Amino acid sequence: MIEILSVTGPASVQDLGRFDQYRFGVGTSGAMDDIALRAGNILLGNDENDAAVEIPMIPFKLRFGRDMAFALTGASVEAEIAGRAIPPWWRSHARAGDVLTIKAISRGARSYLAVGGGIDVPVVLGSRSTQLRGEFGGLHGRPLQPGDILPCAASTAAVGELGVEPADISLARPNAAADETIVRVVVAGEYDAFDAATQALFWSSHWKITPQSNRYGYRLQGPAVKPKAPVEKRSHGIVPGVIQIPPNGQPIIQMRDAQTSGGYPKIATVIRADLWRVGQARLGSKLRFEQTTYPDALAAEAEMSAYLDRLRTNVRLVEETRTCR
Amino acid sequence: MPIEITDIARLARVLAKSGVDTIEIEEPGLTLKLVVDTGARIAASAKPAGTATPAADHSVVAKADVAGHFLAAHPWQDKPFVAPGQRVEAGAIVGLVRIGLLYAPVVAPAAGTIDAVIAETGTMVGYGTPIVRIRPHAANRPLN
Repeated sequence: MIEILSVTGPASVQDLGRFDQYRFGVGTSGAMDDIALRAGNILLGNDENDAAVEIPMIPFKLRFGRDMAFALTGASVEAEIAGRAIPPWWRSHARAGDVLTIKAISRGARSYLAVGGGIDVPVVLGSRSTQLRGEFGGLHGRPLQPGDILPCAASTAAVGELGVEPADISLARPNAAADETIVRVVVAGEYDAFDAATQALFWSSHWKITPQSNRYGYRLQGPAVKPKAPVEKRSHGIVPGVIQIPPNGQPIIQMRDAQTSGGYPKIATVIRADLWRVGQARLGSKLRFEQTTYPDALAAEAEMSAYLDRLRTNVRLVEETRTCR
Repeated sequence: MPIEITDIARLARVLAKSGVDTIEIEEPGLTLKLVVDTGARIAASAKPAGTATPAADHSVVAKADVAGHFLAAHPWQDKPFVAPGQRVEAGAIVGLVRIGLLYAPVVAPAAGTIDAVIAETGTMVGYGTPIVRIRPHAANRPLN
């Protein structure tokens, strides 16, 4: 088990998400950076859907209750286990009583702590993810607090230290600048409700990510993007990644804890292969939208799968070579 | 420790299975190079290593334990893991070896002060390649 010693902001238990209840209005939840979660689980030989702790703010501190392997992926953090520094996207081994401290985040927005065997909270409606809106899943359906004890299915098998190349590097996008995230989007249902000049403004703007951005959605700030005439729609199904334009013309990107329906006009949707980039975009930083097509969105997804496939093969190879010696 | 013929056979199987075509292993007194040929021929050569660590030198050397490209710093970090004059504990990470998408750590075999970072970032290193020379603290014995 793991004991939370110190936590800032809404850290929560997340797996890849809850996908079978969407038609009943139950949102997906799940890791904001699903690639980081998968990479951590691959490093540990876990099922890729095993639950981990999503840590959005520092400082964060926890104590391992017994020997276990763990991996830290996602944001670039300054972290220490029992006084030893841990590089980014790294797996290591903790002894019972060891304290893990995350002191600073230098890049990205969310760090993932995965453990060998996964965080063993009960599966609710098919997932271990915390549903913050519905207050179920995860640990008692709420963000973690100091003193919380997280049950772990951890095997105590010792593993060697090993790192993986962060997805940010392997899946780097051209023209990416420091402190600006470029995400690919496909146009959505009400795109044509905006005139050409407004559409151009949407594409060219460097949108600021406001402090009112979280697991539910990202509220952006920039020039007002308003439809030719007010659009009044009944609430209809939406998915994480949908970019809505409320009456003030300031876009909202729906994220993992979003409602499953909404009525604001939708100008575009972030492709699934880039949703993790939004999840790692920092408050106060800039975001730009790049128009893409459905086939290119599928190609981006294939590229993401290829990265994960290569990661699985590489990890297996290194483990085999090590046992050979 | 000499490399057994069974180890070579096992390594060859791992190489063939994983699609890696070359592996080089260097240990004091021996060098082993395995090349997986498309024609399924295997070339192996063993020769005595020409350069051994000077016997009188009290420094210890952190070596790579896997073949790949050496990285003095994590790609996300500007600062290298260690610099000359820096004190390190036994087991501290002094660099990385990049193999495909993975980063294997190079660790200090003993506590001490960094004398020199021998390997250059980006260069190909093999099993046993010296990476960092460390002057051990008097009270500590090297682990290797």
